[in-house]
Amino acid sequence: MYLSLNWLKNFISIPSTISPQELGSLLTLHTAEVEKIIIEAEKFQNMVIGEVVELKKHPNADKLFVCKVNIGKEINQIVCGGINLREKMLVPVALPGAYIRWHGEGDLIKLEKVKLRGEESNGMICAGEEIGIEKAPANGITDLSHLKVKPGTPLAEALNFNDVIFEIDNKSLTNRPDLWGHYGIARELSVILNLPLKKLSLIDEKTLPTKKGKKLKIEIKDFKLCPRYIGTLITNIEIKKSPVWLKKRLESINIRSINNIVDITNYVMAELGQPMHAFDKNLIEEGIIVRTAKNEEKITTLDGENRILTEEMLVIADHKKPIAIAGIMGAENSEIKNETKEIILESANFNAINVRKTSSRLNLRTESLQRYEKGIDPDLTKTAALRAIELILEVCPESEIVNSIEDIKNYEPKDIEISLNLERCNSKIGKNISEKQIEKILTGLEFKVKKEEKNFKVSVPEFRAQGDVKIEDDLIEEIARMYGYDNLEPTLPPLPIKLPIKNTERLLKHEARNILSHGLNFTETYNYSFYSEKDLVNCLLPKEKHIKVKNYLSMDQTHMRLSLLPNILKAIQTNLKNNNEFNIFEFGRIYEKTEKSFWPLEKKMILACMVRPENYQQEVFLDIKGILETFLERFKFSGRYKLEKPKNPENFVHPGKYVNILIEGKNIGKIYIPHPQVLKNFDIQAQIGIFELNFALVRNELGLEILDKEQRPNFIASLGQKEIKYKPLPKFPGISFDVSVTIDKEKLYKDIYAQIEKSSELIKQIELFDIYTGDKISSNKKNLAFRILLQNLEKTLTDEDMQKAQKEVFANLQKIGGEIRGL
Amino acid sequence: MKEQLLKLKNEVIEKLSKISNENDLRELEIKYLGRKGELTTILRELKNLSEEEKKIIGALSNETKQYLEQKFEEKLNELKNKKLDQDLKESIDYTLPGKKYEFGHLHPITILQQRVETIFSQMGFSVMDGPEIESEWYNFEGLNIPSTHPARDMQDTFFIDQEADDKHGNLVLRTHTSPVQVRTMLKYGAPLRVIVPGRVFRNEATDARHEHTFDQVEGLCVDENISLSHLKGVMQEFLTRLFEKEVKVRFRPGFFPFVEPGLELDFSCLLCAGKGCKVCKNIGWLEFMGAGMVHENVLKAGKIDPKKYQGWAFGFGLTRLALMRYEIDDIRHLMTPNLQFLKQF
Repeated sequence: MYLSLNWLKNFISIPSTISPQELGSLLTLHTAEVEKIIIEAEKFQNMVIGEVVELKKHPNADKLFVCKVNIGKEINQIVCGGINLREKMLVPVALPGAYIRWHGEGDLIKLEKVKLRGEESNGMICAGEEIGIEKAPANGITDLSHLKVKPGTPLAEALNFNDVIFEIDNKSLTNRPDLWGHYGIARELSVILNLPLKKLSLIDEKTLPTKKGKKLKIEIKDFKLCPRYIGTLITNIEIKKSPVWLKKRLESINIRSINNIVDITNYVMAELGQPMHAFDKNLIEEGIIVRTAKNEEKITTLDGENRILTEEMLVIADHKKPIAIAGIMGAENSEIKNETKEIILESANFNAINVRKTSSRLNLRTESLQRYEKGIDPDLTKTAALRAIELILEVCPESEIVNSIEDIKNYEPKDIEISLNLERCNSKIGKNISEKQIEKILTGLEFKVKKEEKNFKVSVPEFRAQGDVKIEDDLIEEIARMYGYDNLEPTLPPLPIKLPIKNTERLLKHEARNILSHGLNFTETYNYSFYSEKDLVNCLLPKEKHIKVKNYLSMDQTHMRLSLLPNILKAIQTNLKNNNEFNIFEFGRIYEKTEKSFWPLEKKMILACMVRPENYQQEVFLDIKGILETFLERFKFSGRYKLEKPKNPENFVHPGKYVNILIEGKNIGKIYIPHPQVLKNFDIQAQIGIFELNFALVRNELGLEILDKEQRPNFIASLGQKEIKYKPLPKFPGISFDVSVTIDKEKLYKDIYAQIEKSSELIKQIELFDIYTGDKISSNKKNLAFRILLQNLEKTLTDEDMQKAQKEVFANLQKIGGEIRGL
Repeated sequence: MKEQLLKLKNEVIEKLSKISNENDLRELEIKYLGRKGELTTILRELKNLSEEEKKIIGALSNETKQYLEQKFEEKLNELKNKKLDQDLKESIDYTLPGKKYEFGHLHPITILQQRVETIFSQMGFSVMDGPEIESEWYNFEGLNIPSTHPARDMQDTFFIDQEADDKHGNLVLRTHTSPVQVRTMLKYGAPLRVIVPGRVFRNEATDARHEHTFDQVEGLCVDENISLSHLKGVMQEFLTRLFEKEVKVRFRPGFFPFVEPGLELDFSCLLCAGKGCKVCKNIGWLEFMGAGMVHENVLKAGKIDPKKYQGWAFGFGLTRLALMRYEIDDIRHLMTPNLQFLKQF
């Protein structure tokens, strides 16, 4: 919304010592955000009134003149082609440095001193459109002789462009219907600046020129949707251009001037915040009916669009047709035209919610709607009607009201009274504001205050009672903002006696992220919580478990993710273009449809992924397994984790390269290589190893929100942080020996390991350092080489100890079919 | 035997003089002085000698052994010194690249979130969490946003394709972290000091400045005497610590249905400290967040008595803060898993 400073000054005497910037900042801090300040005169910098003192034909150009122009301090030579130029004419002169628009088109251009066909031109005599004022006659310049000012007078001054325009952020006015006009803002300023607000002086209804005639019939079908409708039939109207003052006012706040009557309705709206409309009486069949539309009723609005209405939409109609969409826009069929002689002037109140719904269904927002949807005080309709009539009588002095103003209404005043506890008020604001000051602020804003011991009984004026001010806190806001938030001292609240509620899950979450990134060289990615149906099909995920978005933004984002995998695969695919070896992880949520509850299941997952080139020589499965093992070391659980290969693995994993991870018997995650078909579907040519872990449960399958302390056992977050306890360091050195065993390929490592482990109590560490399959041994065999560390905490080991252990290891390996090499 | 010993001694001395590295020296030492070495072999013969001879030869062999051991040590020292001199002659092109080691990177939002959590924890705030798929009740009604409010329009909220519930309405993707306000109040009651970082969703097209998925931090402080001055104090302290320079905050009136009084909080421009520059569009202040005193209807929805307790709430964009903190020019980078971007953090 735009505000004119000159307009505001009609209602409050703002001293000139307050700069526009200061005023803007005061409004921002106390009322609503000023987004921009436009100083009109700035557009006319380096422009003056010049007097043409000599006019000669250009020696080298037929259509140009060389003029001598008096610009006050000096006489400038200017080359100009204006066909209406004559000596002694007063003209707008743009001097070098001024910004103009060539022929009123394109961007602003900075004027410089030039030579035109050999003649020096020190500035430019302008056509109005080139400097943003009234258009000049064709091929001519703008004649300003009527201004009768001295040559050299700054153009802004001569043309009276001395206004300042404030642009207010509409969002900061959403709850303030009373601020959608100059008068409301002036009221705020009167409190901010501590200056009196001038009362609106309205024309006395009894003194209006009236004429007998047929009474205007107005019928309201539903007072809930239209609590009040004031219609005034005015005759002897002469439609013409608006007077300069009116036109200029509207244009200064970005409203296009149309004709005197339409301009007056807009003027009143900008002044008081009450939208108005005028119909051509001759185009109306009988009277006005305010009703809801018939289903599929058609209307062509003033913007030329054909619109189809539905039954909830409120319209203004005559006895045959709709003539306006209530509160939003009029129809072409009753529009004011040049030949209009009689008008119906509308000043009405409509239900805010209804007009807003209509507007969003029709996708039509207007200045009028913007005001109605905030909920305007129905009392304002009368004020606005009188103000508009007053202006119409001024602009069309011949006009007369037929019969009288017709005012149909049915609503109760809100009559809100609030008890304000002064102690609580100050406690919430955090400052001791005196009783006197509070009273002054409230009465300045037109609240009525009655003192009652520690409380004030506050009556809310009707223009603030339409939903904006209802409770004590609403009054506290009025006091706080007018007192000035800048006057509050920053203070820290005293620390509570108790420490904050502990959140173990958070600690573990940060720890997990830190280990993966800074410890294990994985880079964290964030991915969207959605993917497409194609993605889930490509990833072989079950469609029926997915939650769908109803109003998705694009076909790529129709389903909520059931797994972190699809978006990670897409991320891999993109990054493979620059890089063929990297590690990434994501810590994110997944969602699953459940049959048992309205609420979906929601969990937090970790997915870590290792990407290696296609020709990578090692087993990427073992790489990622190693990462997981190291990662898990930081969490608390007794004993080792277990691996279990399920009989029916999920579709998206490689059926031979997949295993579940169990901690204390609970399935906590999985290690896998994606199914080759999945990789093919995502066009990934690389080796990929993944682990996924259930991190925490947000909401379970029954729809219950899960608290930190009751995390389910199959989530990492329920394990807690690793407990660290010192173990004495070995005092005696250990001995190690190597053993190399050839054994059936099928034999699992864990069984071989167990066979070695049980051989001697002295075995402290078993390290597999080589796996061989190939030409040197039979094709159904593999060779494993171990380094085994023996250690006794009590004494130094002897050769005999070692030989004994070695013998046992050999024997145990042979028992399972192992052949010890070098034996 | 005496001759044998002398011969051995001379042999060793001669061989020693030809040794040029530590390995050969060690081998030579084992050969002559080791457990199975030649000197030991000779000494084994000692038992065959008479007592008298044993005494003399014994003494001689000890002498020889000690002498040779000393010679070996001297030689070792000599070799070591030689090597040291040689080492000192070497030098390195220090401009050659160092060997590459890598560690992974945390997402910028994570880094910032951890810092935010740390600072608020120090001021006595707990860190809370809530579901991302919410009901309309928690996301709107519980926060005093009735179904007629413009924010409820389809264009802002993602709806889940599922039938509505009588009490809760439709499922939606939370449009702000504020629903956790009511959830936390219901769970813990008053007094309460929490922040809630988390992912939120808005149904709006994405461009360089807008994202449909971003992160927010909600704050809530409820006690018997909590005031707006406290909000000013806490935010000023928080921002000063976060940006590691003195930051001032200011309030402007603002409207959010779940707070009253409602306000907008700006902080002093980091570049010009409030004087006005390009970054702050000459205002001297940067828009930061919405805040205000928790509306009594919200306290009631959280089963907290508004006559006894009062407090404030705020919500700021962690994503926006990351853009400012790291001077990122395009918001889309944050949700695009491009390693060239992510490895900068």
